[in-house]
Amino acid sequence: MASQRGGARATAREAVTGLVSPRWRKLSRDVWTQKGRTALMVTAIAVSLLGIGTVLGAYAILTREMARNYLGTHPASAALELSAGVDPSVVEEVRRRPGIAEAEAGDIVLARAKVGDDWRPLLLFVVDDFNAMRLNTFKPQSGAWPPPDGTMLIERTAASMLEATEGDSVMVKTPHGAPRAVPITGLVHDPGLAPAWQEREGYGYITRTTLAQLGEPPVLGELRITVRDNPLDLKAIEATAAELSQWLGVRGHSVLQVRVPPPGRHPHQTQMMGVLFLMLAFSAMALVLSAILVATSISAMLARQVREIGVMKTVGARTGQIAWMYGVLIALVGLAAVALALPASVGGARFLAAIVANMLNLRLESERIPWWVFAVGAASGVLVPLLVAAVPIARGSQVTVREAIDQYGVGPLASRGQWRSWVALPPWVSRTVLLAVRNAFRRRGRLALTLALLAAGGAMFMTALNVSRGWERIVDRVYENRSYDVEIRLNAPATVVERLRRLDGVRAVEVWGYAATALSRPGQVDVVRTYPDGSHGSLAMMGPPPETGLVRFPLLAGRWLRAGDTDAVVLNHMVLGQAPGITVGDRVTLSLGGRPTSWRVVGIVEEVGSPGVAYVTDEAFARAAGTEGRVRMLRIATRAGSPHERAEIIRAIERELEARQVSVESAIPLAVLHTAMGDHVVVLIRMLLAMALLMVTVGMLGLGSTMGINVIERTRELGVMKTIGAAPRQIGRLVVGEALFVGVLSWGVATALAVPLTAVVGKTVGMLSFRVRLPLVMDLAAVSGWLALVVIVSIAATALPARRASRLTVREALAQL
Amino acid sequence: MTQIYPGAGSGFVALDQVSIALPAGQFTAIMGKSGSGKSTLVNLIAGIDRPTRGEIRVGGTQVHELDESRLAAWRGRNVGVVFQFFQLLPTLTVAENVMLPMDFCATYSPAQARARAAQLLARVGIADQADKLPSALSGGQQQRAAIARALANDPPLIVADEPTGNLDSQTAESVLELLSDLTRAGKTVLVVTHERDMARVADRVVTLADGKVVAQTSRAQAAAATPEVAHG
Repeated sequence: MASQRGGARATAREAVTGLVSPRWRKLSRDVWTQKGRTALMVTAIAVSLLGIGTVLGAYAILTREMARNYLGTHPASAALELSAGVDPSVVEEVRRRPGIAEAEAGDIVLARAKVGDDWRPLLLFVVDDFNAMRLNTFKPQSGAWPPPDGTMLIERTAASMLEATEGDSVMVKTPHGAPRAVPITGLVHDPGLAPAWQEREGYGYITRTTLAQLGEPPVLGELRITVRDNPLDLKAIEATAAELSQWLGVRGHSVLQVRVPPPGRHPHQTQMMGVLFLMLAFSAMALVLSAILVATSISAMLARQVREIGVMKTVGARTGQIAWMYGVLIALVGLAAVALALPASVGGARFLAAIVANMLNLRLESERIPWWVFAVGAASGVLVPLLVAAVPIARGSQVTVREAIDQYGVGPLASRGQWRSWVALPPWVSRTVLLAVRNAFRRRGRLALTLALLAAGGAMFMTALNVSRGWERIVDRVYENRSYDVEIRLNAPATVVERLRRLDGVRAVEVWGYAATALSRPGQVDVVRTYPDGSHGSLAMMGPPPETGLVRFPLLAGRWLRAGDTDAVVLNHMVLGQAPGITVGDRVTLSLGGRPTSWRVVGIVEEVGSPGVAYVTDEAFARAAGTEGRVRMLRIATRAGSPHERAEIIRAIERELEARQVSVESAIPLAVLHTAMGDHVVVLIRMLLAMALLMVTVGMLGLGSTMGINVIERTRELGVMKTIGAAPRQIGRLVVGEALFVGVLSWGVATALAVPLTAVVGKTVGMLSFRVRLPLVMDLAAVSGWLALVVIVSIAATALPARRASRLTVREALAQL
Repeated sequence: MTQIYPGAGSGFVALDQVSIALPAGQFTAIMGKSGSGKSTLVNLIAGIDRPTRGEIRVGGTQVHELDESRLAAWRGRNVGVVFQFFQLLPTLTVAENVMLPMDFCATYSPAQARARAAQLLARVGIADQADKLPSALSGGQQQRAAIARALANDPPLIVADEPTGNLDSQTAESVLELLSDLTRAGKTVLVVTHERDMARVADRVVTLADGKVVAQTSRAQAAAATPEVAHG
């Protein structure tokens, strides 16, 4: 009856499929009778392809838009800081020099903006002529252009930081001026900067006249250039900049510092591309795992059809014809997955690109995905499963007629004795458990594939969660290694410490030396890697009291500072990023205010969440910088029990400083640093979680599919067991037990595999984001979550076929192949 | 021919230096007890298996020299195989099962194949079952379909291994007649059986025991040796 209905359905389908020759009809009906399994294969590949298409598409959109956005701002190859400001005539002359493509004067002033009761950092970009910008350009988004004198434009992402937007006014204070209300007259988009909310600072754009009104001298201190030849070659840029510095020096324009940010690269670009690459690697792994799933399904199908293959060969089918049939089947499965996944991946790619664009402050002018993304997706969707399934197909189709006919009814269940004895369990273990365990080892090839699939899937799932947990741990190190609550930098040295120490709620005040510095090379102008925002890639020298109780950074090499050290310097690991190869014992020359000072490296510390810092003792710093007795930087710990209380105490400190007429350059609560770091990685963590989800889907589809196959293949044997007296419940327990055994075994392998994988991935993403290895964290929720998933899916995937199998009458079961 | 299967010790000798010549256009029955090597013998002749040592010549073809793919193609065009358990593909209709050899060997166009399948099914008497799936047919009908399939590419040799082993006696009788009719159309028919009834319709009976030919009798000799058959 059932088969007649199936036949009628198959005949009806025939008209639709239009496959004329019998062998293709056979194939299409095989697929149709195994819709569930086919759907599983298609889904697994489609899910992985969705991952690949999404990441690759986003990558393609972003690389194109990054060029349009970031490179579209004409980022300066180098910025030269001139002590006496840049004269317009100099700019004209520089522009005509060989090797220089473009030159322009500009300036950036670190000011403060009052937001509510607090002051937040505000970078003011001073522009000579808004309508004739040549380098580090930005585009108007709304409002006035150029900003009328006395007003400012702000970057579109800065509105949330300043809690003000077009039409509002913000109280602004520059280093030398008094606070003054500045109206915001428009918004701009500046793709050269990381989003303001991520950096926890505001970006404003003003004219030179406005700068003067804010109390600063109306000169532009930066000469920005782009080089003519090899504009993306760091060495060429440095050489040109150095040459220009000398030329300027000869003409009496002293160059304080040369800033050469990584050419052509957005400050967060390396990090984002690294994460996209990681996601791509995960998706590609998922595809390979799906292909393995397809291969297991196909090998099971071939095993079941071995008799039919024998018959086809008997009537004249050649091995090639058989292989071609199953190859076409795989290709069709792949194509179906491609058809499902690629259109969906367009949406996914645009979504991901939008997220990353938001992280990089890009505006996506076009969301077009280039054809090669689809070509790669389609090719990998069809070819990877074909490649992986080639082995079982070749083996299955090479079976000789006699082998095929011989296997009929017996089943290819040969097993070797040593395995049986190897899988020996103590005598008190029930026979059912023993049988379940032994059954799992019967088809060792299949078992190996299933284990590989699940272990890899599980390991990657755990790795994704472990790495995100590691990331969170790193962000928390901001608090672990620092016990101050606020860092205050002053525009001019002052003597205020004692008064601050007496303030209510203040626990400790430490005076630290602070100065911008550069690794200097003899006879050459200082070159730093600083981006225009002044923070990314910068280098500072700090002089803490050697016995400081406010920071304690993990030592990577050597030792921390000691009282009495005179020329000792401890570098944080970010310095090594700027100048690789420095080790303990080396001498380094750091320039302070243009003068070279020589130091001996005694230690290297890991300092997450900070630009490059060279630590020397407060006394050594004062001697070297000539700042004895005067304070530029304070680090203050409070007795606050809550964030609110802490904010109040910081406000009291600010009021005290204001009352003493001490000009504050910046006051950064430690919590802001923590937030900024968290904001840098939160999206990346979500992306990793999305990858974990992808692995769960593929892994569980694989588990469900192989478990299902195992039960169906043993229907006949289960019938035999029933004839010798096994109760349906016992059979169910046996089958589910076997699935559980395989699942738990794979979980063990996955957990073991996750450790090295987490270490490798953690190192990669850690280096990309913070230049440190992420701590190796095994997330217990991930480990136990995967176990729970494996157990649930094992039971779910086998319970139904097991019930069906145990309900069959003995005669029905024996009639099954 | 010698056929040795791997097993304990030096292996199991299924056929021990058997030399046999089968005349074309005759119905030959191969008899013997279970394990005597009769199935092995027809498998070797049909090109389903290869001899460990020795030669097999069918028509003008040195079968033992063909590689797997050529063997399959040769088998498809020159040998029609009928199995004890029919071995029709369950997801193909009866007609499609008959068309399958024509498909693999590219002997007929799809339209021709369809017509030829109908013709062959009519010849074996189940034309009305053409569009059903095998599972909807009785055992006898399935075996008739299998014979039609064996005839698909009009091969000169038809090999059947216990073709009636799974059928009731009445049905077996009619299948047997169908096979013996084929010799009238010029086919060489080779049937493995352990049913002595078969000898009645066979032109020639080859008896095997322990991998050796122990007797070869023509129809007349067989009739003399087995009086009940002569009576029947």
